[in-house]
Amino acid sequence: MIGQAIGGRQAVIMHYASLAVLALITLMPIWVMVSTGFKNDVLVQQKEPVWFFFVPTLGNYEYIMTRGNFDVYLWNSIIVGTLSTFFTLLFGGFCAYALARTEFRGRVLVANSTLLVRMVPPAVLAVPAFAMVVNFGLNNDLAVLTFFYTALNLPFAIWLLFGFFKQIPVELEEAAIIDGATPLQVYFRVLLPLMKSGYAVAGIFTFRIAWNEFILALLLTGRKTRTLPVGASGFITDTGVEWGRIMAMGTLIVIPPLIFTFFAARQIIAGMTAGAVKG
Amino acid sequence: MSIRALSPYFFILPAVAIMVAGLVYPVLQAFYLSLYDWKIGTKFEDAPFVGIRHFIRMVSDENVHESVWVTLRFGFWTITIEMFLGVALALLLEKPIRGASLFRTIFILPLMISPVVVGLIWRYLFDARIGWINYYLGKVGIEPQVWLGNADLAFFAIVFTDIWQWTPFIFIIVIAGLQALPSEILEASKIDGANWWQHILFVKLPMIRSILLIALLLRLIDVFRALEVMYILTGGGPGRATELLSLHIYNRAFETQQLGYASAISVLLILIVFALSFGILVAGNPLKEKSDI
Amino acid sequence: MDLFELKTRAAAAIAGTALAFATSAWANPYEKYAGTTVVISWPALAHFNAAEGLLEEFTEETGIEVEVDALQYLRLRDRQLLEMSKEEGDYDIASWVVMWKGEYVSKGLLTPLSQFFTNGSLVDPQFDIDDVADAYLQNGGVVGGKKGYMPGKSGALYGLPFGAETSILAYRKDILEEQGLEVPTTYDELREVMTKLHEAGIPAMTSRGQTGHQVTAGWLLHLAPMGGKIFDDEWNPVINSPEAVKAAEFMRHIVKTGPKGIETFGFGEASAAFLQGDAALYLDTLKIAAMSRNPNLSKVDGKVGFALHPTDVRCGSETGGFAMGIPANSQNKEAAFLLIQYLTSKAGDQRMVELGGDPVRISTLQNNADSFEDYPVVAEQLPCADPDWRPLIPEWNELNIDVLGQALTKVITTDDPIQPIMDEANEKAREIMEREGYYSWAKYRQ
Repeated sequence: MIGQAIGGRQAVIMHYASLAVLALITLMPIWVMVSTGFKNDVLVQQKEPVWFFFVPTLGNYEYIMTRGNFDVYLWNSIIVGTLSTFFTLLFGGFCAYALARTEFRGRVLVANSTLLVRMVPPAVLAVPAFAMVVNFGLNNDLAVLTFFYTALNLPFAIWLLFGFFKQIPVELEEAAIIDGATPLQVYFRVLLPLMKSGYAVAGIFTFRIAWNEFILALLLTGRKTRTLPVGASGFITDTGVEWGRIMAMGTLIVIPPLIFTFFAARQIIAGMTAGAVKG
Repeated sequence: MSIRALSPYFFILPAVAIMVAGLVYPVLQAFYLSLYDWKIGTKFEDAPFVGIRHFIRMVSDENVHESVWVTLRFGFWTITIEMFLGVALALLLEKPIRGASLFRTIFILPLMISPVVVGLIWRYLFDARIGWINYYLGKVGIEPQVWLGNADLAFFAIVFTDIWQWTPFIFIIVIAGLQALPSEILEASKIDGANWWQHILFVKLPMIRSILLIALLLRLIDVFRALEVMYILTGGGPGRATELLSLHIYNRAFETQQLGYASAISVLLILIVFALSFGILVAGNPLKEKSDI
Repeated sequence: MDLFELKTRAAAAIAGTALAFATSAWANPYEKYAGTTVVISWPALAHFNAAEGLLEEFTEETGIEVEVDALQYLRLRDRQLLEMSKEEGDYDIASWVVMWKGEYVSKGLLTPLSQFFTNGSLVDPQFDIDDVADAYLQNGGVVGGKKGYMPGKSGALYGLPFGAETSILAYRKDILEEQGLEVPTTYDELREVMTKLHEAGIPAMTSRGQTGHQVTAGWLLHLAPMGGKIFDDEWNPVINSPEAVKAAEFMRHIVKTGPKGIETFGFGEASAAFLQGDAALYLDTLKIAAMSRNPNLSKVDGKVGFALHPTDVRCGSETGGFAMGIPANSQNKEAAFLLIQYLTSKAGDQRMVELGGDPVRISTLQNNADSFEDYPVVAEQLPCADPDWRPLIPEWNELNIDVLGQALTKVITTDDPIQPIMDEANEKAREIMEREGYYSWAKYRQ
């Protein structure tokens, strides 16, 4: 009843207060991670929580960056994330364009099955992907991981980009076609510049999945091809969970999605709600 | 056929080929593998064909039943609470205010960070020895609990974590839906003299029901896809108290190395998820002709 | 580098040179392989972390490069099986938990070490394999003996122990003294000490208790001294025997009197509870001794005493830990052998002790008995190490995780009667053994 039953200034204050409480609940665990990454072992193991006032140490960061293969994991994550995003946007864009703009036999089938395969649980992929990799001898190859991430991301990207194509007036293309442009030229010269924000949204979602994914990466990578989340899980060691180090690693993993969130929150929300709200 | 008539196929081909090879083929492969008793470290060619024996075993396997039951309970509690909280908060806080975008940015953070990291953070907070939750409960006179070592408490822990992570999603979707409602209709109902409750129950909620339905189905499917947070947080334990179906498959396949049997359970999972997905298709596929986004 | 280290290095270098003149045209036995890279897969345990120092010394001395892939130890098996089942694997040395040896060998994934021990240019005449603790060697390295995993004439050597272990009791001297308690030597005494500590408000004994492998490992520690076994001689499971139920009941007692959270403790958490001062007793691997001396891990250095694993109806301590061998698909087998030999040689074993690891040789235990309180205890404990502590058969994995790991979780997280839980587990175990064909001989004979 806070929002509308009570009017005026009081309501506005209550409104802000409730939002602030919710924001704190949301942020608290994330702050626990960030702060723990800067604590030494004594502070981490001590039972009484320390929120803000402690002498921060970079020891955990130094450890994870110098020992082990942090640089390799980071590089792998960047490669897999970038490549799978690129292929998803390229091929997903093509497919969404065709679905949005043209009539062809099998269109409804493709549209419906795209939505259906979007729901395939990663756990179902685990064993068959493992089998493919073992039986075809493809193991430990970043290309395999890139391929599966592209496949996992395509359905959602197509869904999202389809919406953006629908918003572009057809007249622009028709003018280009009359001028004699081929479909590919229309796509790259006319539509691509208009689709920037659509690609940005789809790109963020794709990159995020590839960057964060754990289970397939755990199964399909080897010594030299592990990604950051798999590397992080390595700090759950047999000498106990190394909380300081693992939280430092967690903080580093979270940085790119955090940056995206702050710079592109509006687009991300648009992406999240696109399917539900306007569908 | 003209080039122009063929060009749609050229445009969809790469994406369709990748999805077939990367999603459809593995799903079919899961069916195929479930017919063999294959173990890690041996050649697949040497794996004995067992027909539908894995499926027969699955029908009477208490572990699978328990895991399905855990998943359903998990889905029931998380979705009920998340929908209720998310919708209630959205209704209370829908009015556009200054600074709303900052709050929204904060609310989507839990959705953006890696599930592995979410699992780690909450594993630390729920830790029995050094966890913050036990410390603050101790302050108000509650005995420290072994959160992740007791069947009921561990189940509570995964539900709680999921609510922390996903309530903002419902909140944001519903708020977007509410703010997109045409103001004329809302005004009209106010003039009709509907009070606040009636206004919400009979005007607003019905108008956003398709959003609610799709959000619900998406969350439901996510419940059957979820595995990473629990893998880190509890590993499915104690016993099988937090072993959702996806995690059960993973543990079967890679902890006890029964790849064939795990595939048979995968088949069950696929059937469940596809059945739910048809719900979404019926509720409205945005890729269909009639919709215009 | 301290003086002592310099001396050992010098001695090793001289030994190396002498050997080189004796054996081949190469300047030394390592030269032929200088520049190759040996990749090791081993666990992220304290002993192995310490060994990285020794690997650096190896590279410096021999010119053979070493790369380590250190993983959480229960994660190793997947990774190793995957790599070893490929045409060309990534690993040249695999370090396995003893319970996987039967599976690895039965799947044809390991190279018999006899292939190297027959090569005079590789084997250091002073290696002295008889000095390696027999319990460790048999348990970790020999496969195919009695019942497939115990010592026996049909066995063959596939690995050398490194990071091998038995169990001892570690206790907080200060706490026991303060409470006026004697160090327990039998399970009855142990139980009483635990109860008294608990009544005094002190968490008594830590243990592993996490669902799956960990809780089973915790229980096995008490099964052997109580006279229990997993199978009788005909492969009939006997995990519902009175001894097995008694051991399960003891697990429940540990959880009730011990530190909070045992139900979630894996190996790391269980030892951390002791090392951080949250438990007065630790009855598990001898690795705790070296860990308690490591200032990064331990707050209790100097306060810890060591004693024999208490006895009940018999003395029976754990046989476990790790051994390392060479995958059949390794591309650098000779260099890998040289490294394994280096790490487990007398000099290497001594260096491991200095770096904070655990020795595998009797001579090392004896030579350092004055420096470390636990070494004499370990030397005395080793004859009690039970080669049949757990069945190291390929099916053990499923029994361990799916059957016992689940049943024992029920034991320690509920107050349900124990006998029915173990009866049910026994039935499940029998089904698995039936499925795998273990009873076909018995049926054939009938």
